[in-house]
Amino acid sequence: MIETQGLGKIYGRGLYALRDLNLTIDKGEFVFLTGPSGAGKSTLLRLLLLQERPTEGDVIVAGRNLSRLTRNEVQAYRRTVGFVFQDFKLIATKTVFENVSFALRVLGMPVEQQRRRTYQVLKWVGLQHRLNSRPDELSGGEQQRVAIARALVNEPHLVLADEPTGNLDPDLSLEIMNLFRDINASGTTVVVATHDRELIKWVGRRVVQLEHGQLAGLPEAPR
Amino acid sequence: MTGVGYAFEEAWASVRRAGRSAAVSIGTIAIAFVTLGGFLLVSVNVQRVLDRWLESAEMSVYLHDDLSEELRTGLELYLRQQVAVAAVEYVSKERALERFRADFPELLDVTTAVAQNPFPAVFEVRLRTEGMDASAVDDLTTGLAGRGGVADVRYDRRWLTRLTGIVTSARIAAAVIAGVLMLGAAFTVAAVVRLSLHARRAEIDIMQLVGAPFSYIRGPFIVEGLLLGGAGAAVALLLIGVLYSAVGRWLGPDLTGLAGAGQLHFLGLREGVIMILGGLAVGAAAGTVASRSAR
Ligand SMILES: Nc1ncnc2c1ncn2[C@@H]1O[C@H](COP(=O)(O)OP(=O)(O)OP(=O)(O)O)[C@@H](O)[C@H]1O
Ligand SMILES: [Mg+2]
Repeated sequence: MIETQGLGKIYGRGLYALRDLNLTIDKGEFVFLTGPSGAGKSTLLRLLLLQERPTEGDVIVAGRNLSRLTRNEVQAYRRTVGFVFQDFKLIATKTVFENVSFALRVLGMPVEQQRRRTYQVLKWVGLQHRLNSRPDELSGGEQQRVAIARALVNEPHLVLADEPTGNLDPDLSLEIMNLFRDINASGTTVVVATHDRELIKWVGRRVVQLEHGQLAGLPEAPR
Repeated sequence: MTGVGYAFEEAWASVRRAGRSAAVSIGTIAIAFVTLGGFLLVSVNVQRVLDRWLESAEMSVYLHDDLSEELRTGLELYLRQQVAVAAVEYVSKERALERFRADFPELLDVTTAVAQNPFPAVFEVRLRTEGMDASAVDDLTTGLAGRGGVADVRYDRRWLTRLTGIVTSARIAAAVIAGVLMLGAAFTVAAVVRLSLHARRAEIDIMQLVGAPFSYIRGPFIVEGLLLGGAGAAVALLLIGVLYSAVGRWLGPDLTGLAGAGQLHFLGLREGVIMILGGLAVGAAAGTVASRSAR
């Protein structure tokens, strides 16, 4: 499903956030990305969503080299990917409901179906009582759940989550992880970046450890 | 397409949010269109008057008193053969005198006092108005001047043609001015659209990450320009209407006298529709250019 080949990303003054990364994630896998702060976890997820472009190497998803996509293909690709980022990325002027249903709207789904599906997913994340609130009226944990609802609502092929439970209490974290497991069970590939060892242990799936932008355990290249 | 509905919803919300700056851009578009429409209105009416005058314009071919019957018939034949000529009427010396007496009965004394009939015989020639250029008429004039028996050719369309030329240049100047104003208006609309683009930068980024098609991302801004442009043109049409009726009331009688029996004319449905469409087009173009960065 995902393959990176010699992937490198340099920010600013020649410092590698990712360096010569070769990683394969199979279709339907549930993978935790872990490693110390600054290891490059978020960077990898951003490259997978094409929010940024690689400096070196390639990212291949579902057999397609992401660097070769046209702008319209990029948008089409993104419609098949759900994402939860650390800064939530909610539209401030829209309600909780609109933020989530928008991901269905851009698919051209009929309005009635959009409504039903949006309501259902917001209920899963326990926000059915905040449908008409604006993001800035919500707590951090609630905003995170809206972002999760939006990521899952269109049943994507791939879910990318960066610290999706960072603002949630342990009970809710487990519930959210169950949601990810459910969607993974239906065939969706899930990649979750997290520091939370408890969570990783509890879910018990493949763990990819990054360090200094490379897979941990490999000899470190001079920076 | 669902994207269209979305674009209109968002654009409307954005225009309302923009408030004052939206009003300013509608205002500048309106000014440009008032100028354009005003010129159009004036030129439509001036042209109408000119056309009426042109239509009734005649060429008078005055004849020498000693012209023989033969030569006269020849001349008439010649005139009838010309393409520029629509109709020819012969007015003899006697008819000319009668006409004068009928038209100016108070001057009866003068005509009886003169021993001889002072009026020359004349061919009154009605010229074709359609598809005739000035050169055809000029050719006719020179052709006539060279023929025997013709004392004088008077053609009152010549200065009308010159007037038409002046009106045409004025129109071109007006079009240029209106074009410049329109460009200014387009820039204002683009500025407003860019402003709302700026205000929604974060939202656009998110929409892109969610995979919204570019029609969704850019549509609202193009529609915003469209709405501003259309509103500007509509306001302009309204203003022109108000100005028109004010001017009409103020100058009405004089103008009516000048224009003949006919009334002053307001812009027709066609001009109104063209203005509104023009406003929409200018606005949409400005919105399209301004939203280029949202791709
Ligand atoms: N936009 C940026 N500009 C410059 N440097 C950046 C940028 N984003 C990330 N970096 C650098 O790239 C490296 C990797 O950052 P990244 O955010 O991927 O780490 P991370 O593994 O997600 O860390 P954390 O666990 O703290 O979220 C860091 O050294 C960081 O300073
Ligand atoms: Mg990170």
